Amino acid sequence: MTRTAHIAGEFARSLGRHPFTALGSLLSLTLLYLLFDLYWIGAATVEQVFARAVAEVQMEVFVREEVAEGEVAGVQAEVAAIPGVTGLQYISKEAAREIMQASLGMDLLAGYDTLNPLPRSFVLTFAPAALTSDGLAAIAGELRRMPAVADLYYNAEWLRKTEGTQAVILRVGLALGILILVTAVISSLNNLRLMIRTRAEGLAQMRLLGASRLFLVAPMLLEGAVLGGAAAAIGWAALWYARGQVSFTHVAPVFPPLAEIAGFCLGAALLGVVSGYLGVRRMLA
Amino acid sequence: MPDTAIVELSNVDLAYPRSGELFRNLSLSVRPGETAVITGGPGSGKTTIAELLVGRKFADAGSVEVFGENLRRGRGRALNRVRRRLGGVGGIFGLVPTYTAADNITYPLVLAGVRKRARKERLLRMLTEFSLLTRAQDYPATLTRVEQTLVQLARASIADQPLLVIDEPMAGLDTATARRVFEYLVKASLSGRTMVLLMSDHPPGTLPNSTSYVIREGRLT
Repeated sequence: MTRTAHIAGEFARSLGRHPFTALGSLLSLTLLYLLFDLYWIGAATVEQVFARAVAEVQMEVFVREEVAEGEVAGVQAEVAAIPGVTGLQYISKEAAREIMQASLGMDLLAGYDTLNPLPRSFVLTFAPAALTSDGLAAIAGELRRMPAVADLYYNAEWLRKTEGTQAVILRVGLALGILILVTAVISSLNNLRLMIRTRAEGLAQMRLLGASRLFLVAPMLLEGAVLGGAAAAIGWAALWYARGQVSFTHVAPVFPPLAEIAGFCLGAALLGVVSGYLGVRRMLA
Repeated sequence: MPDTAIVELSNVDLAYPRSGELFRNLSLSVRPGETAVITGGPGSGKTTIAELLVGRKFADAGSVEVFGENLRRGRGRALNRVRRRLGGVGGIFGLVPTYTAADNITYPLVLAGVRKRARKERLLRMLTEFSLLTRAQDYPATLTRVEQTLVQLARASIADQPLLVIDEPMAGLDTATARRVFEYLVKASLSGRTMVLLMSDHPPGTLPNSTSYVIREGRLT
């Protein structure tokens, strides 16, 4: 207990002795983490928008003219049984004509009631797991192999581009994350090295009195943890406050759950310890 | 344990890369309660003996045992144990510049895990004994050379460290303070503490239960 209290006291003493070094370190780490938080919120918001758009993807499956009306129910059952298909709506020739009339505002087939050339079709909706380029391509392949199916259409190109954009955002996020991580480590590391250099004489004396290396560096590791964790927490608190001050009409920013934010702050604290360790490694050796 | 030497240097060889050989077959044995007074000129290796005793330097050959612990490289824990039972004054033993006199004095108690209240009580005793009551909250840079020595002596005594290693205890002190330090050494010796005194000149009087050595050309005679 005495030693723990001493370590905590040393940590407080260090902050008191070098307040601007600590403040500079805290601010620079806060800015770094804030940048990452903004990216995180941006990526989550874009992902939500994409997810909503992708959830609306449908596939139109056109039935061959040769298929008799009495056989349609059998084809419908066969299509509905394909894994990943969750919804199916049959569009008869008459229904297709009504849809066209509704969208164009006029009936182009007026007077040609017996010659309706519009195909019968099924409009399919899918389970979220199947809503990928590969998933829909597999379903499309299965449908094309069915003799009753004349053709099908879904916006494959849009889906592929959407997935590509998501992958780019993920890669940028990874690169940004690594960059921030390295910068945070170097920033803390330099801060601690500077501190050790200014206290080298005192630390050497403490070693001569029998202080273990770990006992001497513990306050510095604690400092790294507290500064890292506090910087991450301040960043999130600032964004949380800002969200409450702005009203969003179309797309509201998506914040990660509190548990993830807490995990992030803990991770930042751990990163502070790692930076601290790297900073004092030479002394520990 | 009483028959076992607290300090045992056996056939120690030590050479510096630049200046060459310093010790050859240097041996020293100090039993509990004994005082070894080692005198020698500048560069004779007095401070190096202190460094060997705290494991700041290691012998090239031979062995250095303190409190029965063989001080070798890579024995960090043993080294820390030895250092906590050893009170050092002068030479390599300085003060922590960022600590007040009081913090410097009580540091060995912190390492020993002594609680705050007990630390305060012992500190008060030391401050009184060494006339440092008015300087307790001052930093080493603001203390005089004499006060710094007194703080070191207080630090070397506060945890009842059984071994005292004192490098040039009288150097730079006025006659009155030197006399006071010598009286303290006599008192410490009479209380049964083991001491290694490293001095340029002989002490102003005879210390009880002491053996005098002269270090010359890398050997103790």
